[in-house]
Amino acid sequence: MTDYIIRRTLLNVIVLWMVATLVFFALRVLPGNYAVNQFAASNIGAVTPEVIAQAEAELGLDKPVLQQYREFMWDTVRLDLGDSFRSKRPVWAEIRRALPYSMELGLLVVLVGFSVAIPVGIVSAVKQDLWPDYLLRGVAIGALAAPVFWTASLAVIVVLKFSLFRIDVIGQPHIWEEPQAALQWYLIPMVAGGLASTANTMRLLRSQMLEVMRDDYVRTARAKGLQERQVVMRHALRNAFLPVITVMGLTVATIISSQIVLEQMFLIPGVGRLLFQSIFLRDYPLTQGLVLITTVVIVFTNLAVDILYGVLDPRVRLA
Amino acid sequence: MTVATEALTYDLPQRPTGIRAFGKSCTQFMAQKRLGAVGLIIVVFWVLIAFIAALVPGAVPKLVDEDRVFDAPNPDYKANPTIPELAKNPDIGSPVIVARYEDPTGEHWFGTDNAGRDIYSRTIYGARLSLTVGFGASVIAVGLGMVIGVTSGFYRGWIDLIFQRFVDALQAFPALVLLLLLVQIAEPSVRNTVLAMGFIGIPIATRLVRSAVFATAATDYVMAARAMGATDMRVMMRHVLPNIAAVLLVAFSIGIGAYILFEATISFLGVGPRGVVSWGKMVADGRANIDVHPWLSVFAGAALASLVVGFNFLGDALRDVLDPRLRGSR
Repeated sequence: MTDYIIRRTLLNVIVLWMVATLVFFALRVLPGNYAVNQFAASNIGAVTPEVIAQAEAELGLDKPVLQQYREFMWDTVRLDLGDSFRSKRPVWAEIRRALPYSMELGLLVVLVGFSVAIPVGIVSAVKQDLWPDYLLRGVAIGALAAPVFWTASLAVIVVLKFSLFRIDVIGQPHIWEEPQAALQWYLIPMVAGGLASTANTMRLLRSQMLEVMRDDYVRTARAKGLQERQVVMRHALRNAFLPVITVMGLTVATIISSQIVLEQMFLIPGVGRLLFQSIFLRDYPLTQGLVLITTVVIVFTNLAVDILYGVLDPRVRLA
Repeated sequence: MTVATEALTYDLPQRPTGIRAFGKSCTQFMAQKRLGAVGLIIVVFWVLIAFIAALVPGAVPKLVDEDRVFDAPNPDYKANPTIPELAKNPDIGSPVIVARYEDPTGEHWFGTDNAGRDIYSRTIYGARLSLTVGFGASVIAVGLGMVIGVTSGFYRGWIDLIFQRFVDALQAFPALVLLLLLVQIAEPSVRNTVLAMGFIGIPIATRLVRSAVFATAATDYVMAARAMGATDMRVMMRHVLPNIAAVLLVAFSIGIGAYILFEATISFLGVGPRGVVSWGKMVADGRANIDVHPWLSVFAGAALASLVVGFNFLGDALRDVLDPRLRGSR
């Protein structure tokens, strides 16, 4: 077990190094850089090459690319992500400000996703090939296919048409500061994102439930006269749930992608929106830092899920 | 002695060949997998629509991006408006006005959009981009995934190790972020978008191909071919590739829906291909006045969702039929 964790962690470090390298060079290949773009946007009359060169020198962009790469790697190893070009603040500070918003939205999305997926998966399996099954599965596949920005737009239409609640929330409230305002703000993105993340979990849970319901111990449980409800909830569900945990790990990556869209749509100042903006500004340190942080979250969630799987199911040997 | 030779001759059961065999397996597929059949119908519907829009002149009106609907005469028209009048009503100087944000009517089935263009025509035209991107990206992803997966699964050892770490890195990299970086490297044309998305799809295609190659490379006939002195290249081309054809087809069909969604997403975010009608861009255009004129977002998004549903149904059914081992996995 310890060996397994150490080996996987080392592999993850290699993956992180490759991702860091990839994002570093991908950014340098993009046309333009922060200095050039700033002057192009600012409409200052006389922008001489010297002015641009001076601005580049201030940002350290005049050094050879390989030297920049070496410095970036060395800083990253020491957990120094540098300063954002735009705000001149440390990237860590930017992350610390943006992360709570993304975590809030992400957790709410997961909450909605699972509280829809689990009952739907169970009902769908128990009523296999009856109309509730077809209906629920149809909705789930539809939710997987509908782009998250469209479902969110539809929700906005409904909310506005029937004047359900105000969408234009003032300020950027956290849920622990002003729960009501924050919930109004997050409601549409969390439902849209949650529905989009439902389908995979629900389908896997259904097929697992169907398999488990045919097992001998379920028949035994029925034979000894337990109520159907208890058979399903205590005997079947607990065993069907294990593989679903692995999908949770994969869902994290999907949620991060949909987070970029949702944060952009609803002006939530989280990691996704910051990342989106930093790419267009060519704010190299910020993009690099944010990509690394998201990748760390993804790879170590996957590791945690695999370990958890081994802990919960003694039959699974990690080697 | 003659008895023995006679006993050895028997007729092989006749299997239908060629087009009839294909037709038969199609019918079987449709009967077995009803959802798959629904998916196939949806996909064929959109493919037909896209072709009709492209090939039959006049089948779909107002095709070009710049075409606007100038069909409403301006009741307030004045020959020489003064500046304050213009400020009050910008349209006052032209005899006909652009019919922006019309609700669905008999003439414009889905209404008109923010620039006065017919939403119905644009929805139909949007199918071309989505289908091009879906098929194109999938071809590239499966092509590259096949090369990497076959080499990796066939030679194993350090080649496999290096390729797999590369694939791991691609998979760990948030796909949308990588896409946002890649599409900006060159100018945002359809071709470059397709290339970037094909690159994103490499990990999934490689994973599928690699595990299939593992299974095939361990079979007796591959060992027999090797024993007969076949070169690596010959074993790969003649023995391994034909036997993973089903997996390749699965890998091809299963990703298309996702690529279509990716294109729509980057177009929605404003970095999609330029100069073409994109459903994602249409949904984004509709957001500005979504409270009063929701039609643009509604129809474009519905078209998008229906096409993706079609590909997902079809892909799932193909996977179940061709490679039952993969059932329940993604």
